[in-house]
Amino acid sequence: MNIHTYEKLWLVGAMLLIVGFIATVTYGAVGVGVTMIDDSEETIDPTQLDEDERFSEPRVEQVGENEYDVYVVARQFMFQPDPIEVPAGSDVTFYVTSADVIHSFSVAGTNVNTMVIPGEVSTMTVEFDEPGEYGIVCNEYCGSGHHAMEAMLIVQPEDEFELEEGEN
Amino acid sequence: MASETSKRELGHDDFDPIGTLALIALYFLLLVFLWLFMYFVEFLGNEPTVVGLI
Repeated sequence: MNIHTYEKLWLVGAMLLIVGFIATVTYGAVGVGVTMIDDSEETIDPTQLDEDERFSEPRVEQVGENEYDVYVVARQFMFQPDPIEVPAGSDVTFYVTSADVIHSFSVAGTNVNTMVIPGEVSTMTVEFDEPGEYGIVCNEYCGSGHHAMEAMLIVQPEDEFELEEGEN
Repeated sequence: MASETSKRELGHDDFDPIGTLALIALYFLLLVFLWLFMYFVEFLGNEPTVVGLI
């Protein structure tokens, strides 16, 4: 088969491009640790959240030295708890579920962004290195008050952080 | 109008579309640059990111 020199160049270039795409995504997954939010959690009954040990009381809970679990309920048209307060320099795992319709849990301006589906628990772990304040918004249209559905996520300096009474 | 005498034969490797090659090379570099920018600056730079074990 007679292939023109330029065609060979284009074929090799296209192959390198594909290898490059796969290599960068692999670097992201293995080197940086970026992961996807999946549906591996057990399903729950969204009408029985009051009796669910994780979601009956939406809260921030310390589970390790620098590890926190946050149980969040999204409902028309609010997130509970609000604000969510966690310390800087910690690994925070969010467990988010919905009490009514499909919402989303989107920390504005970051890659923390997931759908929240009634009956499903969206689970994601995030590292907060620096103190700061983030807005949380719902980006799935969930009803007439959708545009007002928001909450605050406050990452406090490590030495100022204290879990509120009754929590933990 | 082309006459019989103005016809010329081109061998396989005599065809030399250097302009097309240059244009595609330019597109290629643009694509590589935009991919790197999108992934490393816009995506990974947009911290915090969801992390964990695969």
